[in-house]
Amino acid sequence: MAEKSKAETRKEEGLGSRFLALVVRNKILLILAFFIAIMPVWADPISKPLGIDLVYVMRLVGVFTIVAVGLNLLMGYAGQISLGHGAFFGVGAYTSALLTVKAGFPVWFALILSIVVAAIVGLLVAPILRLKGHYLAMATLGLGIIAFVFFRELVWLTNGNDGVRGIPELALPGLNITTRKGEYFFVWILALLVLILCGNIVRSRQGRAIKALHHSEVAAEAMGINVSWHKIKIFMFSAALGGLAGGVFAHLQGYIDPGSFSIMLSIELVTMVVVGGMESIWGAVAGAGVILFIPEIIEALPKWLGDVPRWVERYSLYEGILFGLILILTMIFMPSGITKGLSDMTRFRRSPFVNPFRKKGVE
Amino acid sequence: MTAPPATTEEMKTTLLSARDLTKKFGGLAAVKDVSFDLGQGVIKAIIGPNGAGKTTLYDLLTGIYEPDAGSVIFSEKDIIGLSPHEITSLGIARTFQTIQLFPNMTVIENVMVGLHHRTGSGMLKAAFKLPGERREETWIMREASRYLDIVGLEMQSKSLAGALPFGQQRMLEVARALATNPTIILLDEPASGLNVYETRELGEIIYRIRDMGVTVILVEHDMGLVMRISDEVLVLDYGEILAEGTPAEVRNDPKVIEAYLGTELD
Repeated sequence: MAEKSKAETRKEEGLGSRFLALVVRNKILLILAFFIAIMPVWADPISKPLGIDLVYVMRLVGVFTIVAVGLNLLMGYAGQISLGHGAFFGVGAYTSALLTVKAGFPVWFALILSIVVAAIVGLLVAPILRLKGHYLAMATLGLGIIAFVFFRELVWLTNGNDGVRGIPELALPGLNITTRKGEYFFVWILALLVLILCGNIVRSRQGRAIKALHHSEVAAEAMGINVSWHKIKIFMFSAALGGLAGGVFAHLQGYIDPGSFSIMLSIELVTMVVVGGMESIWGAVAGAGVILFIPEIIEALPKWLGDVPRWVERYSLYEGILFGLILILTMIFMPSGITKGLSDMTRFRRSPFVNPFRKKGVE
Repeated sequence: MTAPPATTEEMKTTLLSARDLTKKFGGLAAVKDVSFDLGQGVIKAIIGPNGAGKTTLYDLLTGIYEPDAGSVIFSEKDIIGLSPHEITSLGIARTFQTIQLFPNMTVIENVMVGLHHRTGSGMLKAAFKLPGERREETWIMREASRYLDIVGLEMQSKSLAGALPFGQQRMLEVARALATNPTIILLDEPASGLNVYETRELGEIIYRIRDMGVTVILVEHDMGLVMRISDEVLVLDYGEILAEGTPAEVRNDPKVIEAYLGTELD
């Protein structure tokens, strides 16, 4: 907002300084884009000794950034909790997978339809947005469970537990994306685009409306905001991004089964949003990165340390406990998430951690 | 000095008329058979002891509650049954007794929210920052600072609304309500929690609002303020109208004096 008035005075200045201002305003985006662009160069040589295929994991980070930023608009900005967002991710994945495998649609078209179908499903279940707080959380949790059951039991459509095989690789009209790096760049161009669009939305009239209804629905209504319609809109938008991410995910994996879209996925998505930082667009990237790299690092531990106890090797058995723990610790020590914690640290030069045991005195 | 416009008989057109409004909670009538007219350009105060139904009356006028009986005619139609945001768009704005700002948004953003229904850019326009949307945003910024000027908060425009001192939060609520470009503004105890100087300032601001052509309804316990600035006073007691008239008439009404247990109204 501050930039706007400055932008007016800047009109008289040269093109150069305006360009510079644009760079300063979008510095996080530019740093991230630069990092993404050069990553394959240095990542491949160190991937082997590290025991983690960095480009491979970063590809998934990109996919999950797309759904996490959508979920953050809904949860962080609009304050509407969804514990069932994996449902939309799954709907998108199955839509794109089935349309390409069974109906022979081109991949790009199937991806667009996976956005549309997820948004429509979002609209159909939108009546649950009448619920508030814990009730909404419970209802969306139910939604996630129901979606999982559908994926598993609608065998004629989804093949049930056998899953859908032979999903074609990502492709644009006239361009097949077959290499790992190609997929990586495709995913991240999409993710950066989504981040830019969402960043624009939260700074707009629409963004202010959803932030307003988060804090006080009655005041938002009194300002002439149609609260229920705005909730539906942001829910659909968020579902659509989940659908897009799910569709891309299906083509990256080449194979999907219901197990990938269980309630565990929804909980991981919520963890990404909370760990990354509510009400933060960049938090989605940080959250997706942390949540996706942790299992990889644990799996690579034997390679780094030589011998590790058996319980570390078999960590996937208690993955759920791990994510639960991360969620709890974040809520206690860094309640506003990684991005807010770090920005507070650089801006106010204070620790990114909160001391939960500090006595709150009256100032 | 401009004479208070409402006292004369050739009074301006009636803006809003409420007829026989009744709202019951359980068996208790919070508002019962309340009828009144609101002339254009007046400052009308609604007073009464705690629990007299003043805020319920506001909630009926702004669509938060639907009355069990009665009608409210505003701009030639019955607004009963419309949702609050529709009523706001028609031109009735309000503030809240318990402050309902958006605390995590800046002062100016709060006012910008008030401009929501006067603008129209949708999600896609915003996402792609189309030229129309940019132009609209510039307009919103300019308008919002204008409303902050009116209540004297232009210096704080970039602070978080939740960080403002109490008195300024009340003023911000007024600015935000004005930003919806109302014909009628309903102020719900705007002076509560304000000190003497702030209350005097508030009186000035209410005059300024009236001079902008906005009709003011005021629910207030500060009798000094009410008697000084209002053109008409409506007294509610147990949900019913006890008296209505100019401040002088109401002050000398024996029923009113009794309701206030003999407290002098000045």
